[in-house]
Amino acid sequence: MATTVITGRDLTLTIATTAYDAQTTSVTLVNSPTIDVYQTLDGKAYKHTDDQWTLNVELLADWGAVSSLFEAMWSAADSAPNTTLAVSLTAVTGAVFTCNVLPVFPTIGGAAPGAQTDTWALTVVGTPADTFS
Amino acid sequence: MPSTILSAVRTPLATALSGVAANVFSYVPEQIPAPAVVVVPDSPYMEFETIGKSTFRCKLNYTITCCVAYNSNPASLDNIEQLITSVVAVIPAGYDVQVVDRPTVTQVGASNLLVADIRVSTWYTQTA
Repeated sequence: MATTVITGRDLTLTIATTAYDAQTTSVTLVNSPTIDVYQTLDGKAYKHTDDQWTLNVELLADWGAVSSLFEAMWSAADSAPNTTLAVSLTAVTGAVFTCNVLPVFPTIGGAAPGAQTDTWALTVVGTPADTFS
Repeated sequence: MPSTILSAVRTPLATALSGVAANVFSYVPEQIPAPAVVVVPDSPYMEFETIGKSTFRCKLNYTITCCVAYNSNPASLDNIEQLITSVVAVIPAGYDVQVVDRPTVTQVGASNLLVADIRVSTWYTQTA
């Protein structure tokens, strides 16, 4: 089997139907499982009891831009903090993951002299769905 | 016709710099009439920092090369400091202004120039 490599250029990200590719420098959908460990007479036993997914997005800030993504996220967190936003994350053509996340307030500011950036850790409600084709 | 880096980045940058007291070029000219400000690609020139490939987007690195005549050391240094100050003041928003490299004497043709590079970066997205 030939080696397959996919890169960040293969990723696409939409949140609330808006494409985030232009501002996104990194995106990961990460699971943090809860696994209970029991010490038994036969040794350790493991029980996977829960999953909490997080969508981590690193972005270049775009405050003040037309159709600003940061302003949209701020408005969502301000007006409807408990309303989820639909996310579609394409790892590569044929591998699409969808989930729902809660909005967060973006961080304002940055360090001189570089670009203003931010990292969002968006809590996923439920479990991501996959579409492999 | 899609936008070009020349029309979307280099020419607007040269236009923004046109207010300084120097000859401004958005490319490297064959001859440099001092004082001059020249926009030159830096290395790496293009960095691809954002995800996706449907649209050409990149971070562009440039040096804004400031040149003054090198006749007397104290006066030339003062002249290039003033030129650097005036250039940095008019660099548009959306540019990451990083450092100014130390001035060096460069021979161009028969004349000596005192030259310093201002390192800047900006981001370009090709539009239709």
